[in-house]
Amino acid sequence: MSAVVSPIREPLVNGGKTYHQITEDICSPTERAPSPMWIAAFIVAVACLGFGVASILWTIWQGIGTWDLNRTIGWGWDITNFVWWVGIGHAGTLISAILLLFRQKWRTGVNRAAEAMTIFAVICAALFPGIHMGRIWLAFFIFPYPNTRGPLWVNFNSPLLWDVFAISTYFTVSLLFWYTGLVPDFATVRDRAKGFRKKVYNFLSFGWTGKAKHWQRWEALSLILAGLATPLVLSVHTIVSFDFATSVIPGWHTTIFPPYFVAGAIFSGFAMVQTLMLITRKVLKLEDYITVAHIESMNKVILLTGTIVGVAYLTELFIAWYSGYVYEQFAFYNRAMGIYWWSYVGMMACNVLSPQIFWFKKARRSIFVTFFMSIFVNIGMWFERFVIIATTLARDYLPSSWSYYTPTWVEIGIYVGTLGIFFTLYLIFVRVAPVVAIAEIKSILKSAGDQYTGPNAQKHHEENKH
Amino acid sequence: MKDKHNDIWIGVQDKANDPALEEISSKEFFELPIVDALSDDKFVENTSTNRRDFLKYLGFGLGAATIAAGCEIPVKKAIPYVVKPEEIVPGVATYYASSFVNGGDYCSILVKTREGRPIKIEGNPSSKITKGGTSARVQASVLSLYNTSRFKGPGKISGEKRTWSDLTSWEDLDKEIKGKLNSNSTIRIITNTVLSPTTKKVFAEFAAKYPNTKVISYDPISSAAILLANQENFGDKVIPNYHFDKADMVVTFGADFLGTWISPIEYAADWVKTRKIKDVKHAHMSRLIAVENGMSLTGSNADNRILIKPSEQGAAIVTLYNEIATLKGGETIGENDVNAKADAALKLAAAELVAASGKSLVVSNSNDKNVQIIVNKINDLLGSYGSTITFDSASLQRQGVESDMQGLITEMKGGGVDMAIVYGANPAYDLPNATDFSSAFAQVATKVSFAGVIDETTTLCDYVAPNNHFLESWGDAEAKRGQYSLIQPTINKLYNTRQAELSLLSWSDSANVNLKAEQPYLDYLSNAWKNDMFAKQTSYVSFPAFWDSALHDGVFHVANESTATAFAGDIQAAGGKIKGAGSSELEINFYETVNIGAGNYADNPWLLEMPDPIMRTVWGNYLGVHITFDGDNNYTTFKDLGQDQKGNTYFAKITSGSNEATIPSVSVFGQMNNTVSAGLGFGRSTVSEAGKEVGANLFPMCTTNEDGLTQYWAAVDVEKAGKDKEFACVQYFNTMGVTGEVDGEKLNVDERILGHRGFQGSLTERSIIYNANVKEIKGLVEKIEEKREFADHLNTKTLYPGHEDKYAMGHHWAMHIDLNACTGCAACTVACMAENNVPVVGKREVFRHHEMTWLRIDRYYYGDVNNPNVVYQPMMCQHCDNAPCENVCPVAATNHSSEGLNQMTYNRCIGTRYCANNCPYKVRRFNWYDYTTADLWPANQYSINGEDLPFGADNLTRMVLNPDVTVRSRGVIEKCSFCVQRIQEGKLLAKSEGRKLKDSDVKTACQTACPTGAIIFGDKNGHGKLHEALESPLNYLVLEEVNTAPSVNYSAKINNRNDKMDA
Repeated sequence: MSAVVSPIREPLVNGGKTYHQITEDICSPTERAPSPMWIAAFIVAVACLGFGVASILWTIWQGIGTWDLNRTIGWGWDITNFVWWVGIGHAGTLISAILLLFRQKWRTGVNRAAEAMTIFAVICAALFPGIHMGRIWLAFFIFPYPNTRGPLWVNFNSPLLWDVFAISTYFTVSLLFWYTGLVPDFATVRDRAKGFRKKVYNFLSFGWTGKAKHWQRWEALSLILAGLATPLVLSVHTIVSFDFATSVIPGWHTTIFPPYFVAGAIFSGFAMVQTLMLITRKVLKLEDYITVAHIESMNKVILLTGTIVGVAYLTELFIAWYSGYVYEQFAFYNRAMGIYWWSYVGMMACNVLSPQIFWFKKARRSIFVTFFMSIFVNIGMWFERFVIIATTLARDYLPSSWSYYTPTWVEIGIYVGTLGIFFTLYLIFVRVAPVVAIAEIKSILKSAGDQYTGPNAQKHHEENKH
Repeated sequence: MKDKHNDIWIGVQDKANDPALEEISSKEFFELPIVDALSDDKFVENTSTNRRDFLKYLGFGLGAATIAAGCEIPVKKAIPYVVKPEEIVPGVATYYASSFVNGGDYCSILVKTREGRPIKIEGNPSSKITKGGTSARVQASVLSLYNTSRFKGPGKISGEKRTWSDLTSWEDLDKEIKGKLNSNSTIRIITNTVLSPTTKKVFAEFAAKYPNTKVISYDPISSAAILLANQENFGDKVIPNYHFDKADMVVTFGADFLGTWISPIEYAADWVKTRKIKDVKHAHMSRLIAVENGMSLTGSNADNRILIKPSEQGAAIVTLYNEIATLKGGETIGENDVNAKADAALKLAAAELVAASGKSLVVSNSNDKNVQIIVNKINDLLGSYGSTITFDSASLQRQGVESDMQGLITEMKGGGVDMAIVYGANPAYDLPNATDFSSAFAQVATKVSFAGVIDETTTLCDYVAPNNHFLESWGDAEAKRGQYSLIQPTINKLYNTRQAELSLLSWSDSANVNLKAEQPYLDYLSNAWKNDMFAKQTSYVSFPAFWDSALHDGVFHVANESTATAFAGDIQAAGGKIKGAGSSELEINFYETVNIGAGNYADNPWLLEMPDPIMRTVWGNYLGVHITFDGDNNYTTFKDLGQDQKGNTYFAKITSGSNEATIPSVSVFGQMNNTVSAGLGFGRSTVSEAGKEVGANLFPMCTTNEDGLTQYWAAVDVEKAGKDKEFACVQYFNTMGVTGEVDGEKLNVDERILGHRGFQGSLTERSIIYNANVKEIKGLVEKIEEKREFADHLNTKTLYPGHEDKYAMGHHWAMHIDLNACTGCAACTVACMAENNVPVVGKREVFRHHEMTWLRIDRYYYGDVNNPNVVYQPMMCQHCDNAPCENVCPVAATNHSSEGLNQMTYNRCIGTRYCANNCPYKVRRFNWYDYTTADLWPANQYSINGEDLPFGADNLTRMVLNPDVTVRSRGVIEKCSFCVQRIQEGKLLAKSEGRKLKDSDVKTACQTACPTGAIIFGDKNGHGKLHEALESPLNYLVLEEVNTAPSVNYSAKINNRNDKMDA
């Protein structure tokens, strides 16, 4: 994939890597014994997961009454977490699909981990629509399967049903995409492995031999999946936003929701990628593959989407005023000035104001700033969903029914549990699969390696001459 | 094929001479292909299933069936009749006319029984008193029949620890008691008001046998002063017959006649007649002025409220009297000072009363005889006697004079009483000096209680001869003179109880009763009626015919002439004895709550869970404290007490002399500053399971005046005592636009108070409540018209095109609620719980806003921030034709019927709660826990109030369930169904009678419960009463512009406030 590359482009692979070095660098974490830090992190993650499982079982055993939802506020932390996790699950596919179609080479450094993150996030997200049901044992009712009750069909008018299709489709395509990318890399690991490990990776790599035909089909499949996944990036969160947009509750019933949700999802997805990659590159010593240039690129996306989200917030306020509709006006007044004002402030500060720091190049390239910003954005995006869901429901049409909501330990436990699931899966992932797509990095080495492009290239060139 | 010209043919083939049919019919044996195949040996040989396979399948099938059958499925017993009773058809309800009587509380009722179980109480339209109306207490009374804490048989209580021991039989009890009686024994029967003439006869028989017997009767919430004043002024110790329907102008001094005072069902129905707007062009309505300190149910319905401290009541009445006397030219009495604002307002009220002379009425709950004498004189001056107050058919619903009890306490202390018999009273709890009573009571040699359930007085007794529940009893009642009604049993006795009257007759060795008879008291009762009542009528010539008709109707009316004399009394003397306002800083008034009365309903879970109409609190008594606008940008409350909007409130410690009580506080608009209010009847110490540890007992803080009459107020100290983190209140948000003055400018207080400190509901003009003064009714009609036109313009689109045509055919069920007729009494709320098996969830769950009520009554304040008006809005599923809940359910568990009903399919519901979120009216209820104990596993059943068994888990309590309504399991949504089971019943009735359905065939539970006829249900496409009601220009739909197309129409709230009266 050599191409003409502008010399002012920053190299995407540092350290003058050779192909072999790349293989060594990226495969070695899967071949070493786990570090104490990994073990500690894993124990914490599994503990959180265990607590989450206990909370979920408690919910199912006792009933939704173990949560502090009430007659007015039917959704709280459950759907907030659902939307938050789905949002986080957006970066992976965006990076792999849209950036692939746009031939953005910097995606190769982060796409594998981002895709993995997507899948794990969607797993966490998919949990909530299940457990928030009063009768989870009848969850199969939401699938349109042939039955003897009439047959009784699902309600195709319901956005919740669209969610079911949207999320299951998204999950399937993302999983295929991720796994397809992993096949040649698993083959690489297999070729270096011995004994039982070799057998496992042999199975996982589907008998990949690296034939030209394999590569050609692999490329074609990647492209097809990218084509399939691209509309999904837009559709999933659009449909999630329909859960709210198609309702009649002021503050939910808004046509701006689909683009606003998609932008917000990409925003939070990239933030989560940043959080994970900054740790991963440090711990696995992948700084040469996930460079400051990568980080800066992602910060640019964060700045863009954060600003889109900010514009959406302001548009909502404007439309509420401009509509002349008293309930809509009150809904937005209440968000900013009502009893949950703090969550609105949190949302605005974390999502709109703080990303503006990325207008400064120094900040964009600062690991420290980026890390904290990525956490901020994730908090802010959680607040956004909380504001939309709980704050809106707490004060809708009839003042007589207004109420207040705080989570119980069970709800917090389930949230912590999903973090546990996410990190458990991620920690396993970094131990068993190459965190950076080896084959894809190799494919851009000649055009984006620092020995070929950027300020080091000249030096490298001269060294070669001698 | 040609037609067979045959007169008799079966099917078209036969008529058409089908050859195939002819061939078949010509054969002797009918052949089926399968029989052919099976009888063919080759067929069997050719099948692939051989013997071994067959055995395999058999084995697997058996094994699978065994495993499946091994899963334990709870055994629910349903026992069919061995011999079916003649009058019971399974699935068809039978109604019996009877009467609800509890002390002086009375209602003529129809008891709905299913398969021999009473399950619902309806009002009896034949009654001239209650006219088919009911109250929450009446509705809930059926649940008390199934109270698990009822005494199971006669018993003895003895020892220091008051331990119970069963008596083997009633004969044993009779023997023991008779052994303690002789003709010289001094016996005192302690009762509350007794309405039954036959019971009084029984008392008389007992007194004839034991001449030293006296019946001491008192009422815990007493009207003794009225009785005594009337005796003095009119020579008749009775509550007169008040005609609220004839009054254009009513002033009430603390008498909560719409909620609790004497006969609220009757008074509410009468009063509302003067409040309904029939013709907007010539709108006319009466005016009600409430003079009180805390917001009562009546006060909340009043047009104007005049705020006075409890101690000022006498002075206020004197002030009113003097003003009227001046205007009418009568003698005035010594001036008594009342606060300046009230003084001015009372003068205005006096002028209005005088202007409406002959059509005005002044009532008071004062328990001071002198004050009531002045009230009588006021009414006399106003010409009320003979028009709005008469002594014919006078009310007997309060007969007790508690000074007699005070006398008894003295008598008992001296050891002068040999036996005390407690009949339906609980003086050890509900007297202000209950501890005095208890210690005096201990001096009595033998104490017998007739209580059906444990109470404070019964634990002090030696013998318990448990009375039947009224639904198991025979009896009669005379609630007003000449207006008799019968009580008949609707179920066999659940326990080994005996009617109290029979116990007394047995102890008096009555010759008039055969205790061995199958129904001895029926014989006694019908004999009594034969002797006393039969002669009073002329319609029936034979007694059995008369008896059957009276029993069928439940009521028997005879004309009653007044014997009262004209007013005569020394008002100067009475006026001189009236005390002036107290000088204490803070005063409390104790009021009877709408739901639990004086504590005699305090163990009924339905009533405990019924929100207080004003405070909207449940499961306990709460201290109402003052809230006001600080004139700047905040609300202030008395001593910073009262609730916030996050479900917290503060406890208030009330100190009155040596008595202390700590209850949570609630800020109530319209509560006078420097006064607080709290309900009586809570904090029962010895009570059946549900009532334990609910609220605090405030009776000890009441005082007794020099005449021995209880005064329901006191001077107190109140201080803040920590946070209540389980504040069980169903409505935090209170106002619908209260106005206040800042720098002489009138403005919306909530608009002024920005942020979350105010009640933000009124920040916007919400299309939920429309209201106006009767003078501005024209403007309101125009406003409603304009709003509805605008909504129509917005609502041209529908999600379901073509459905309107469908709804125009057949039935289209709808409801009309007249906000002007709704007094907020909540009879409908309890009726709905009873009819629809709505679970009781307990205090903690209500605090968490998990209440399950399908029908709630929203309460909003509007008008002057310091003295606002109130509007009540019954709110239930609106059965929207464009229902937002329906299209969001992923599994179509809620859907629309062709008759416009929004249906809930519990079996299909998976509990996503999306429908509840998307309901603009927030009427959908989710089963957060296993409230109904319907789950397979009992581990998660939710028990209230720390009981062993969850409410409703007990088989006895479950007998109250309506078999026509599914008991919902946890995890599903439920909501008002417009009583779909009643609609179905009505349809079946019409069908079986071969006629079209009429509106009157279907009446919802809330509709039949309502004493004032505020709710009308029917077919929008029909031509009944509903159709008429829907024509009113005051009608509107709540949130019409949202285009949900609801089926419940509300008629706007109109008041008749006099804006000049500022107090």
